[in-house]
Amino acid sequence: MVSAKKHVPIVKKHPKKWNRHQSDTFKCVPSAWRKPKGIDNRVRRRFKGQIVMPSIGYGSNKKTRHLIPSGHKAFLVHNPRDVELLLMHNRTYAAEIASAVSSRKRIEIVAKAKALGVKVTNGKAKITTES
Amino acid sequence: MSERSNISGDLLWEVVRHNNAYLVKRNSGGGVQFSRDPFNLVNKHSRKNAGFVNDKAVSVQPNEKGGVTLQTKKPGKASTPASQHNVHAYGKTVSNRKVYKNIANAVGKNSYRSDLNRSAIARASAIKDSQRPKKDAPERKPRGSKASKTEA
Repeated sequence: MVSAKKHVPIVKKHPKKWNRHQSDTFKCVPSAWRKPKGIDNRVRRRFKGQIVMPSIGYGSNKKTRHLIPSGHKAFLVHNPRDVELLLMHNRTYAAEIASAVSSRKRIEIVAKAKALGVKVTNGKAKITTES
Repeated sequence: MSERSNISGDLLWEVVRHNNAYLVKRNSGGGVQFSRDPFNLVNKHSRKNAGFVNDKAVSVQPNEKGGVTLQTKKPGKASTPASQHNVHAYGKTVSNRKVYKNIANAVGKNSYRSDLNRSAIARASAIKDSQRPKKDAPERKPRGSKASKTEA
């Protein structure tokens, strides 16, 4: 397995989830973000001590966007043939085995990835057994 | 038939660039497009690397018994697919330097596709590397509570 290309440090400006205003006080208000629209709303008016609203400034650096902590980008694979696509990109892309792939086929995919030097993000899933 | 086909590569590319049998699209990782085309050296979906569109293209593929096979397209032979390619097979006993030298001579010289020279050699190198047996990763040492359990 090859390590990823050198890259600028990954900075997440707002690692926490963006929860909708008052989703913590009312059960009927789900946490998915909605911009407050009310005329008196204190979050919308950005008062001191209120939650902050998501904005474009919280986006990641374009150079580190979509990077996983190892510095690769994830590429979804379903079979060993998909892994072969990453032969020339094993320093920028890592293979991620699709969730519906059986453990028998996962073993083939992981073996292929090892031969090609491709990182597999979920290589142990469904393969390792508890002893 | 040595007659030139009257469909240009540029036109072909405009027709097939949005969808074709070789193209692999994924939404993950910011939306990436790869190509399964055997005449695409870096598996990237782009005009330069699209081997099935270009008159001159290079393919470097692994042999079944080890080693690599170099194929180059003969321009103007699109209508006779059986004799369309120049084929050079290098067995697993041929030294790496010899393989790279031969590929560089076939691809880079005589104004064939000197822009693909580097990637052809890089691909041959990657394939040769993939045919080498790999070491197993060293076993992980137990840490934390598991480590103290094994000590006791």
